[in-house]
Amino acid sequence: MHPALLGLLTIVIGVSGCIGYFYGSNLLLDKVIFPARGPNIGRNINRANLIRPWLFLFPAIFALGLYLAYPVVETLRLSLTDRDAGGAFVGLQNYSQMFGEPKFWEALRNNFLWLLIVPAGATGFGLLAAQLTDRIRWGNLAKSLIFMPMAISFVGAGVIWKLVYEQRPVDVEQIGVLNAIWLGLGGAEPQTWLTIPLWNNFFLMIVLVWIQTGFAMVILSAALRGIPEETIEAAIIDGASPFQIFFKIKVPQIMGTIVVVWTTITLVVLKVFDIVFAMTNGQWETQVLANYMFDKLFRANDWGVGSASAMIIMLLVTPILVWNVRSVRKETQ
Amino acid sequence: MDNIAGSKSGLTWVTHISVAILVFLWLFPTVGLFVSSFRTADQIATSGWWKAMFPATQNLQLRAAAPETQTELGGLYVIKGNLFTEDRRDQTEISVFGISSRAIDAFRPGETAELREGGTITVAANGDYRMENTEPFKGKRGQRVFVTSDIPPEFTLGNYDTVLGKDVVKRLVVFAIAGLVFFVVLRVLFKDIAGPVAKAAPAVGGIGLILALAFTFGLSTGTVEGAQTTDSMSNAFFSTLTVTIPATIIPILVAAFAAYALAWMDFAGRAVLIAIIVGLLVVPLQLALIPLLKLHLSVGIGKGYLGVWLAHTGFGLPLAIYLLRNYMVGLPRDIIENAKVDGATDFQIFVKIILPLSFPALASFAIFQFLWTWNDLLVAKVFLIDATGETTVMTNAIVEMLGTRGGNWEILATAAFVSIAVPLGVFFAMQKYLVRGLLAGSVK
Amino acid sequence: MKHSLYAGATVLALTAGMAGAEQVTVFGPWLGPDQENVEDVLAAFAAASGHDVRYVGSDSFEQQIMVDAEAGSAPNVAIFPQPGLASDMASRGFLTPLAGGTGDWVRDNYAAGQSWVDLGTYADASGNNQHYGFFYKVDVKSLVWYSPENFEDAGYDVPTTMEELKELSDQIVADGETPWCIGLGSGGATGWPATDWVEDMMLRTQPPDVYDDWVSNEMPFTDPKVVAAIEEFGTFARNDSYVAGGASVVASTDFRDSPKGLFSSPPQCYLHRQASFIPAFFPEGTVVGEDADFFYFPAYAGKDLGSPVLGSGTLWAITNDSPAAHDLIGFLQTVEAHEIWMAKGGFLTPLKGVDSSKFADAPTAKMNDILLGATTFRFDGSDLMPGGVGAGSFWTGMVDYAGGKSAAEVAAEIQSSWDALK
Repeated sequence: MHPALLGLLTIVIGVSGCIGYFYGSNLLLDKVIFPARGPNIGRNINRANLIRPWLFLFPAIFALGLYLAYPVVETLRLSLTDRDAGGAFVGLQNYSQMFGEPKFWEALRNNFLWLLIVPAGATGFGLLAAQLTDRIRWGNLAKSLIFMPMAISFVGAGVIWKLVYEQRPVDVEQIGVLNAIWLGLGGAEPQTWLTIPLWNNFFLMIVLVWIQTGFAMVILSAALRGIPEETIEAAIIDGASPFQIFFKIKVPQIMGTIVVVWTTITLVVLKVFDIVFAMTNGQWETQVLANYMFDKLFRANDWGVGSASAMIIMLLVTPILVWNVRSVRKETQ
Repeated sequence: MDNIAGSKSGLTWVTHISVAILVFLWLFPTVGLFVSSFRTADQIATSGWWKAMFPATQNLQLRAAAPETQTELGGLYVIKGNLFTEDRRDQTEISVFGISSRAIDAFRPGETAELREGGTITVAANGDYRMENTEPFKGKRGQRVFVTSDIPPEFTLGNYDTVLGKDVVKRLVVFAIAGLVFFVVLRVLFKDIAGPVAKAAPAVGGIGLILALAFTFGLSTGTVEGAQTTDSMSNAFFSTLTVTIPATIIPILVAAFAAYALAWMDFAGRAVLIAIIVGLLVVPLQLALIPLLKLHLSVGIGKGYLGVWLAHTGFGLPLAIYLLRNYMVGLPRDIIENAKVDGATDFQIFVKIILPLSFPALASFAIFQFLWTWNDLLVAKVFLIDATGETTVMTNAIVEMLGTRGGNWEILATAAFVSIAVPLGVFFAMQKYLVRGLLAGSVK
Repeated sequence: MKHSLYAGATVLALTAGMAGAEQVTVFGPWLGPDQENVEDVLAAFAAASGHDVRYVGSDSFEQQIMVDAEAGSAPNVAIFPQPGLASDMASRGFLTPLAGGTGDWVRDNYAAGQSWVDLGTYADASGNNQHYGFFYKVDVKSLVWYSPENFEDAGYDVPTTMEELKELSDQIVADGETPWCIGLGSGGATGWPATDWVEDMMLRTQPPDVYDDWVSNEMPFTDPKVVAAIEEFGTFARNDSYVAGGASVVASTDFRDSPKGLFSSPPQCYLHRQASFIPAFFPEGTVVGEDADFFYFPAYAGKDLGSPVLGSGTLWAITNDSPAAHDLIGFLQTVEAHEIWMAKGGFLTPLKGVDSSKFADAPTAKMNDILLGATTFRFDGSDLMPGGVGAGSFWTGMVDYAGGKSAAEVAAEIQSSWDALK
């Protein structure tokens, strides 16, 4: 069967299945199990209403439990066992093996670099773009162009930036913009940007900053607009310069939003895989945890260490997890 | 704010220029890809894409006709012809030429070069050459001639033909114009008729015509000769669609019911559930790869579309529930309470009132999920792509291509552009909802 | 003779279209031109057997085959570029032993048949040795490619000793040109071309038994002999004046793009060391023997080690048992299966009894001569090492070395990754 037809069929089956489930289960509850008639009508309605939320929630809870909660536990278990030994419990052996590998420390170091630079870069540029575009007439057009990379896949972005970083021998015309500029500025010879240790990490990070800036800009721009006019007017009357207004009046007021943007991008960074996989595959000292894990799982075929490195990623997101949960708890109470 | 800017016109200029620079920086790399996808391989290799509008200087290695074509005229052996036409190229102006790889620019057009094996060659600016010798030319192959010439800018749809199949772009454009014309005609015809059918007719008719044309005439007229099988993106394109659409629609439905329950139904443990969902929002999906793959295998789903749909559904749910719940909580309480007083059940309220009212939130999540599944590589690699080769997605096709076609930027750029064209279209058409969704999800 | 009859019977059975048509999925590392070649061979099999054959190639074959095998969605037949990986998979129980008699056929019909059987025999999950891998398509690795016309223009002669090769390189540098094109890039497998260099250098600086000890890790990677071989590679690859684009581009240049420098105008380099399959990646229309030619990567005249040759081969193994998969392995035991690819070039085979006039060109016959003239033949060492080393840390280590790390440091890292696997 043609895959497009198959897809269509699945949409029909999936959607009608979902609707059928919700409709049918409600019907069953209301008409058969606890019918809203007969002697026990009041009790039946109450009982039905006790159960109904769970009917509504069941598919979601089931999927969440299976696809997100169970893997956390299972990964933890795998990280403590050795598959070659028939899945025997080996304690922290996988972890100690991983800690003994220089590649792991390289990945961890790089991940920290990414964590420092990408959220800062994207939030900084986003704030700048938000502030500047709010003041001009063609701001909306500018915003949507800066926002555009958000729609581009990491792999597509990888190709786009590989073209930017492309290198040709010195006596041949450069086709990568960066090298053309580099030579134009008097650089002696073209650089292979993606293989210069340490620096290449920054060239990879630029790609993610490029993608995430639009996101930061959109949210920060909404926050900037939400600042009460009076505070700014008061500052103008006091003779504050535009820079003072921006840094002393506006930024403090939207600090909460900045933190949200920062943490959201941090989450993206922790999971970054495609960019590194497509552009360097972790070579030339650009390894990151997510790609290290993929390597361990599928190249070295070492599920123990692979799972252990996945747990490290989990550990790194845990503070954000706790913080998010706490702020939501505060809100809903 | 405007008055600050107004009072300092210098600052306004600085703002305009800074924004222009930012936009330029952000746009430039993508434009490079776009322009490159329309250039020929030779052109890409010889000049940067930003010089695409100017002639490029190229060094070519051409070959005169083989000695077997020589003619004898009174003791003088002659081989003549045109270097470009013999190499099946367009004629261009030669600026310099050479006969040794060590000195490719030794002679000007019209000059005569001494051949190492005896005899001479004269090359004219248009590529005409004449080789003369008093003895017969020996050997099997023609003399190598190195020429340097300016090749005028050249744009082509050829790369798209290679990547998508012959004539696909041309046909799509023709069909789209036909559909648009039909749309306008129907608009005019149905202008004065009321009713939903008449309203929808132009759009349905236009799209219908495009589809009908595509099915009747087909999109592609074959594959380009010499194209490698791995160059074709058309399969990957449809596979990606097949992955994306169910993986976008199914989680919305599941999440909408759950979000309604979390927003408007009272039950014990609601707050805890919300907290758990927020927690799951940040769980890295990397953790799920191996356990779930094992699970899929043990229950017999294996690798394939079903598995990848389920996986995307699972991974998309926390965000979907979170976004939709945030939105639904904000819906006016009295509408829902009035409906309850009128005897509507929760199911009816949800279908008739909540769903239609939540359209903006549904749309914004749909866009997120669409972009995410379309652009995904990791989930597809683990849950979908197997060795039968029936199923691949565009992101993976591009990664493979980076390996096999590392230096062939014309193919790479075109393939990448094909893969980002759809999300870009969706992005520009639905940006409003995307922004709304982002704001609902992050600003508290 | 009995076994030739056996093979003949297989062919007869195939052509008769015995069991019903089945789908056979074949997964291998070949993409691009090689993919077209293997598809031709498979098409002949499909025509002969009536089976529906699908071939898929992937640049990340090594990772994908593991994922698929774990997933239970493995193809029927996988084409391994490395015995090491196949042996890993056999020990995990992912491979199905070849039909009885296949080993005997190989012993009888392949030159040095026993060694090909040994290279395809691994321990299964319970430790018993079984014959899993059928070798089809062999490559000679110790070749240096050049453009004869460019040599002629510059007045260079083909070197016959390593000393002469180094002199020639210096001569080219002195002429203001660049001698070598070296590229290690290969997507997920980046680094492997350097492992071939190091192995060739091992064979040219040490006797073969040292090479064997190294490959089996009886002699550790950190041994000065190994470090010296790595550094020997470094004298070429880490010398800015020797490599087109400078030493810094070696690791990132794709191995498929790298030979194109030989043919550019003006030439970017004059020499390119690569295996016999590389012509598939020469610019379109390049004729081997005319536009491009090769010579044996010579040995040191000053060391009495004869003329060693490094080679490799791809082995076909059944990763998902089905009668049709066995039919395919049976088909590979026909002369026809070998001659189809021979005619397309870039293909060497140890099968005795192929019609050597079917070789695509005289150069291929010349390669066979190199193979025959070898005083020592050794299989690609990295392919014999465990997957985690030979298809992992050895590759990445060489990338690090090309990037400037010291040979000793790299060797220590590779050794520690090997220790971790034990």
